[in-house]
This record gives sequence, structure tokens and C-alpha cells, in this order.
Amino acid sequence: MTTIPKSDTPPPLPLLLLGRLLPRAEREEVLSDVRAEYATMAKNLGVAQANSWLWQQAVGSAPSLMKWSSWRSISGFEPRANNYSPGGPMLKNVFADIRYAARRLLARPSYSLLAIVTLALGIGGTAAVYGVARPLMFDALPFANEKDVVTFSFSGSWTEQEFAYLRGKIPGYRLAGTYRPNDVTLREGDAPARMLPSISMSSELFDVLGARPMLGNNLKAGDDAVGADPVAILSYGLWRELGANPSIVGTRITLDGQPRTVVGVMPRGFWYPTPRVRVWLPQPINPEGQNGSYTLVARIAPGEDINNMTARSHQLEKILKERFTYSHDWDKTVNLQAQPVREYLLGDLRPAIAATFVAMGLILLIACTNVAALMLGQVEGRASELAVRAALGASRRRLTQPLIVEALLIGVVAGTVGALLAAAGFGTLVRALPLGAWSESASFDWTLFVAAMLFSMVAMLLVVLIPSSSLFRRDHANLQGVLSNARTGGVRGGGVRIERGLVIAEVALAMLIASGAALLVRSVTNLYAIDPGIDTRGVAVIDAVVSGDVKPEARDAAFNEILLTLSRFPGVQSTALAMRIPLRGNSNSFAITIEGAEQLERSTTFFRAVSADYFKTMGMKLKSGRLFIQDEKSDSGEVAVVINELLAQKYFSGQDPIGRRIGGGFHLPQRIIGVVNDVTEGALLDGKKPARYFLNSQFWFMSGVSFVVKTNRPRDAEALLDPARASINRIAPSFAVQRTTTMERVFDGAVGPARQIMLLLTILSGLALLLGAVGIYGVISHFATRRKRDWAIRVALGLTSQRVVTNIVGQGATLIIAGVVVGAALTMLFSKMLASLLFGVTGLDPLAFLGASAAVLTAGLIAAFVPARRAGTVDPAIVLREQ
Amino acid sequence: MSNDSDFLPLGVLQEQILVAVLRTREDAYGMNVRREIERVTDRSLAIGAVYATLDRLEEKGLLLSNRYTVDGTSRRMFEVTAEGARALADTRAMRERLWSGVDMRRLMKLAGG
Repeated sequence: MTTIPKSDTPPPLPLLLLGRLLPRAEREEVLSDVRAEYATMAKNLGVAQANSWLWQQAVGSAPSLMKWSSWRSISGFEPRANNYSPGGPMLKNVFADIRYAARRLLARPSYSLLAIVTLALGIGGTAAVYGVARPLMFDALPFANEKDVVTFSFSGSWTEQEFAYLRGKIPGYRLAGTYRPNDVTLREGDAPARMLPSISMSSELFDVLGARPMLGNNLKAGDDAVGADPVAILSYGLWRELGANPSIVGTRITLDGQPRTVVGVMPRGFWYPTPRVRVWLPQPINPEGQNGSYTLVARIAPGEDINNMTARSHQLEKILKERFTYSHDWDKTVNLQAQPVREYLLGDLRPAIAATFVAMGLILLIACTNVAALMLGQVEGRASELAVRAALGASRRRLTQPLIVEALLIGVVAGTVGALLAAAGFGTLVRALPLGAWSESASFDWTLFVAAMLFSMVAMLLVVLIPSSSLFRRDHANLQGVLSNARTGGVRGGGVRIERGLVIAEVALAMLIASGAALLVRSVTNLYAIDPGIDTRGVAVIDAVVSGDVKPEARDAAFNEILLTLSRFPGVQSTALAMRIPLRGNSNSFAITIEGAEQLERSTTFFRAVSADYFKTMGMKLKSGRLFIQDEKSDSGEVAVVINELLAQKYFSGQDPIGRRIGGGFHLPQRIIGVVNDVTEGALLDGKKPARYFLNSQFWFMSGVSFVVKTNRPRDAEALLDPARASINRIAPSFAVQRTTTMERVFDGAVGPARQIMLLLTILSGLALLLGAVGIYGVISHFATRRKRDWAIRVALGLTSQRVVTNIVGQGATLIIAGVVVGAALTMLFSKMLASLLFGVTGLDPLAFLGASAAVLTAGLIAAFVPARRAGTVDPAIVLREQ
Repeated sequence: MSNDSDFLPLGVLQEQILVAVLRTREDAYGMNVRREIERVTDRSLAIGAVYATLDRLEEKGLLLSNRYTVDGTSRRMFEVTAEGARALADTRAMRERLWSGVDMRRLMKLAGG
């Protein structure tokens, strides 16, 4: 290289520019020529002239150099002079490698298709689950500093009385509010009333949450006083539906027949406590109110530590104890806990979504393993070629780059296909997951495509590590070794070991998903085995909300007309109504007193109002006494009540309850006329509890009502749902039909998220088994092909083909069993995650493990048998001639 | 290429570069080619354009490059191929045919007046 005097050092910037643009192989020599030329010029014409020349050169060369490098990369031209000089332009090689990779992929369609489809399934599924999980698990809740907001939880709810007492004096908290769900009806013009999911709340609630309306104001203190002017705050969605009037604040809307002044509209994206709520109303707080269905929400005071509130909770327990005495079952002064609001709102969903997410992630991992094994097979097959290239001086980078490019190409295609799959399957997934009201928050948007691509790229970069690391094992450096191996089909220890490791990993992951699914299957079977005490078959359910302004006579007349109309539908056996049907969770419990017995501790029983045919419709059995008759007389100043067996046992043990009088929760004494079997009135897992049933015409009214219709066949029940809704809208426009369903679906709902997760995991484990089988098939057939010559010689020497098959299947079985063992160990580690979804089984249930192992083994052995059989039926003469 | 029917006349820069490669003989590398053209035409020429054109000409088979190490510096040296020589000859022949019908005296008069 020419030495350049220091004074003639050219300015670095133009040289840098030139260097960037020049192809790598020729960069140094051109630059050194430029430097030499510059030095000459500087000597002859002066530094200024030389500098200006250099700049002209750099800037003037830029367009042609850029054109040049893009031309080189497109045409793939490599000058002869560069043939043996490594490091042509990177870009050029990448383009060439993309073309090469695309050609290779097209030339091996089964390999490419398998890799892409496998990966796309994993990526699409993961991206779709991510789309569902993101708003629930990762996005912030739509209010300020959610971490400072808690709910006070225990097995029950708060009353207005308790809230009025605690207001302003909960220790450690700045502000507390309370609310309860209270669906209302909205009537616009002559259209039938429409049900609006609604919240009745104390005036502080939005201040506790730190949420402000987009239009108008929050509730003021005093809006929740008894007798205050009725007002309402609308959700963004409801405001849009009502015409998006920007000056809506101050106008009136009619909810439940009562005109209310709109004081505010919440911003878009705000929800509380679920995205389904459309309107928030002030709840008149009665300081003596006993209605117990309130949730208490509070924001911690400045200076308090949210993770360390136990002492504060004990103080609160003490304050409660000063005023209230509680029965054992409902004692709020024991174990009162502040629960973060996110956990309270979304906690139940978390294990379900996490389980799905993990399962999807495992599928993606299996897919990656599969693709890695496939690529490894390809690299092993090209061992000789790669060794020769390495021996001729190809650099490490030059050999790995095509692999990486091939992997990325598969990744891009699979990512695209996966994103399309995610888009197609998103709706199904949202329906399949137990999201409830949150299904509205799950949205499919472009971030899913980004996520799919990202997952895909990361996955493929991980995948490519395995085959590319196998490129650089010691024996590759030794050309002779590889070439002599190549003569025997390239059988080498290392690749086989990695390949087997991959199969074991794949089987283990499949086993993990399959045993998760098996655990849930067991758990759900146990749940369905619970006898709810009613006959759920063929019972249609229509839930309605009655507008608060409907007069009792008109309401009862409408009830009768609706029941009559429903009974005329085809296949109907009987119809009834109930204020609350079984299996839908706790609620409506009231204290009980027994006439002629000394009052024990305060205790409550479920309290239900039903029409006369309710027991028949629900398939309940009369144990003694009689059931209601249509026009039960109440002239004697008492009402009739039917009790269940548990109530009879608890309060009348050893006595005949028929004809006895009880009280509580009702201003009139209650004469027991009959005893029916126990029914799971509350949540499925709460079991059966003492319950009282009243005739609806003798009962004060609550706004919600469920019509139940027993039909001959389940099909009839499904068929009458829509016409029933239409009939109710026609007969009673002031009733809003909330939802139509069947008792079987109510039971499904009571079984809970485990059922839906079980279905999902079962499908996923099917997929995992399929992918695992594909992996095993690939590796075993690879193994069989490589050893073809060995087998042929042995068969020629007298080995039976049956032995060949047994031997190859045995190879597969070893791997599968190893995988099953690893997978079982993993399941034991992970089964805690499913714990909250399990019922009646432990995470170590042997039956579930056996079932999963059997499924994995069967799928694996079938996959190993196919190539083994092929190897066993080969004619040795042909094989040996080929070699 | 040598076939008359698909012969494409060379561009001006291509022609200049091929000729310069011939003129510089054993010393035909990029920077020298550029210097030679600048010296003869008295116009400044960007090195990038020279390299890009050299590459194009090699891809067309009119030039051939080999790498030699001179005084410790590796250089890509160019030589004109038989095809390159034919292309130059064809281009020159075509130009002469074109010029042969031009009245030089009239041209000079036009240029002068």
C-alpha cells in the first residue's frame, strides 16, 4: 500500500461516503487508489483543489454507485476477479440467497409446505390468543392509577346500611364508593323496551376510579341521597346510539319509565365494572337499607402502602364489629381483604387465558422444533456439499447466511399465513374462550399482524440456531472425514443426537398439552356429574327485565298472557316463571325465623318467587305436602311457602314441617305447604342450601324475571327462543328481553371456564399430537433412509423384514417414551397453573396422566410405524445396487 | 453479439472506457482508466461511474477482470475480450459509415458561422 504523507491525509467524510457505496470486495483497493490520487493532486495543485476534487468524486459517484450495487444484486453478477475473494457485497449475497432459498423451497414442496403450515398454525394461534389476552392482561384499565384501587372482598356483598355507616371512615383509604348491577329498560318512541346493562352507584364511584366524563360532570355529593333528582351518566357507546348529540348534557332520557337528566357522558374506551355497562345511575343510599348486593371500591390514601394493608383491614373489621353482628356464614369481620381491582375484575379470567396462551405457545414451540428438525435433516443431507465449500474457503457467515435467509423466508410466509389464520379464527376463539362481557374488549387489529410477524421471526431465528450450530461441529473442518462419511450416506453421531433431542422435546411438549387437557376433561366430567336437582333437558329460558313503572296488575296480567302464549308453542309441556333460576350464583337470601321455635343465630336461606308450574317445569320432585295452586288464597293474612329438604332438615329436624309457619324477609307469616327436593340454587360448587319458594302473585316484585319452558325435545326448546322473544316484545313492550338461552346452557355456564378451556385444550392437544407425529415420522424416516444399506445387508444375510420393522419402531418408541417421561415431569411442574380450573382432581391425577400418555404413545407409534414398514419391505437387491 | 443483426452500438462512456482499457494496457485498473479518459477528454469523470460501467461491460462479456497483486496492493485489472474488440470495431465501423456521407467542408462552415 502506498504510504501517504500526513499532511496529505484526505478529509474522511467523502471517503466514508464512497466506502459505504462501494461493493465490499473492491472497497479497499478503490479507496487506496483514491487516496493516492488525492495525494498526487494535493502535491501538484494544492490541498484545496484536491479536497474539492475528492468531494466532486464522492458526490458525483453516488448515483452511479447506488445504481451499480442495486443492479449487481438484481442481476446477481459477480465479476470473475472476485471469484476467489470472499465478501462480495452483503446485499448482493442476501438477494442471491433469497432467490436460492426460494428456489430450494419450491424444489422441495412437501418440506416447505410442512414447515410453513406447521409454523403458521402455531403463529396464528399464538397471535390470536395474544389479541384476546392483550386487553385483559396487558393493557391498563381505563382509570387512573389502577394499582391504588381495591375492592373489599369476602364471601358476600355489602349493604347500603354498611356503606352509609363506613362512608368516609375506612382507615387507610382516601375515598370509597359502592355500586351494584341494576339493569334498566330504555324506551324510545313506540319501539319495545330495550334492556340496558346498568350500574347503580354511590356518587363517589368515578372519583374513586379517577375517571372523568368526556362531556358534563361526575355525580355530585347528594345525587345519591334518597329523594334526589334522578340523573344518569351515559357510556360513550350509548351516547353514540342516541345520536351523539354534543349538547346532550341537561336533556332527559327515560329509563325504567322514569325521566332522568343526563349529567355526563364517559369517554370512549371507559368501562366499569365490565365493558357491557351502558349507563351509570346514582343509587339512593338508604342508611338503613338491607339490600345486600353491593361491591365496595376504595382508593388508598397517600402515604399508604398498597401491599401492606392487613393492619388497616383489621381496623376496618373492628369498626364493623362496633356496629354490626354477623352470622357465622356471612361474617365480614373475619378475614376481610383488600383485593386489587384488576384482580377483582379480571382475576377469574386469568388462569383460563394464561392456560390457553401457554398451550398456544407450546404449539408454536412444537412447530419450531419440527421445523428445526426438518431443516437439520436438510443440512445433514448437504453435509458433503457444505464441507467442500468450507474447505474451499467459504466463510462461516457465507455458509450460515443461506440458512438464515431460508429460515426467514419460511418465517415471513408462515407469519403471513399465520396472521390470516389468526384473522379467520379470531371470532371463533373469542366465542370459545370464557370471556363473558370482555369478549367486547377483544378486538382484532393490525397489532396482531405485527405480533404474528414478530413471533414468526423470533421463532425462526431460534429454529435456525440448531441446524447452523450443527454446521460448525469439528468434523466439518475435516473434509476428508465428511467425504468418507458421505460415501456411507453421511451418517454422523452429532446430527442424530440433536435430531433425537428435538423429537424428545416435541413429544414432551405434546404430552404437556395432552395431560393438561386430560386433567381438564376429568375435572369437567366431575363438574357435570354434579346433580343440580333439576332436569335441564329441553328447558328454554327467556330472561327479561320489567320496567319499574309498570303497575303490578298490568304486570301480572302480562305475565299470565306471556305464559299462555308460550304454552301454545309446539312441543311445550309446561311453562313457568321465576325471579331467579338455579345455577346462576348467589343472591336473594333472607333471614328466616321459625314460629314456635326460639330464635337461634341470624341465619339466611335462599328466597325464590316462582309461578305455580315452576316445579313441574324444572323437573323438581315433591317430597311431602302439596305444590302451589294457580290461585293460592292469601286472605288469612299469610302466604304459602314451599321449602326444600335441607331447610326442613335444618329447622324441623325430626318434625313434620307441613303446616308450620315461618317468617323473615317478608311482612306476612309464611305457611309451609310442601317440601321439594334440593336444588343447586346458587353457584354449582356452592352445593345445595336451604331454600324457600313463594308464589309470584303473592310476592313483592323484583325487576328481573326468567320465563322457563319445558319442551319435549331439546330441539324444540332451541326453536322457540326467537319466536318467544318476539311474542314477549309484542305482548309487553315495557318488558325488555335480556337474553334467551336454555337450561343446559345455563348449566354449561355454571360449570364455568373449565369447560371451554377443556374444549380448547383438547383441540390444541390434538394439534400437538399431530405435529409431534409429523416430527417423529420425519426423524424416523430419515433414520431409516440413512441406514437403508445396513438393513439391506442384514436382510440379505437373513434378517426377517419383521425384525427390521420392530427395530425401527423400537428406535421411535425409545424416543417417545423418553418424551412422555419428560412431559409428565413438566406437567407436574405446570399443573399448579391449572389448579383454579380443576375440580375433584389433583394436578397429579394418575388417570389423566395415563390417558395422555396413551394418546401420545399411540400417535407416536403410528408415526414411527409408517417409515419402518416402508424400510422393512424394501428389496435388498435394489438397495445394494443403488449404492 | 458479433452477429450484425443483434449488434448494439456502444454508449459513449462505454466506448471511451473500452478504448481507455486498450490504451492503458497492462495498467488497466479503475482509477487509471478514469485518469486516462480525463487526460484525453479533459473532462472530469466520477470514479463511481467508471467502476459501474466497467462492471456492466464485464457482465456483457466485453471485458474480463483478474486480480493481481502489485506492490502489495490487490487490483482488479481489466482486459478487452475478443467480443469487446469486435464491439469496438463494429462501433467504429458504424461511425465511419455514418460520417462517410457528411460533407466536412460544409460542416466546418456551419460550425464556423
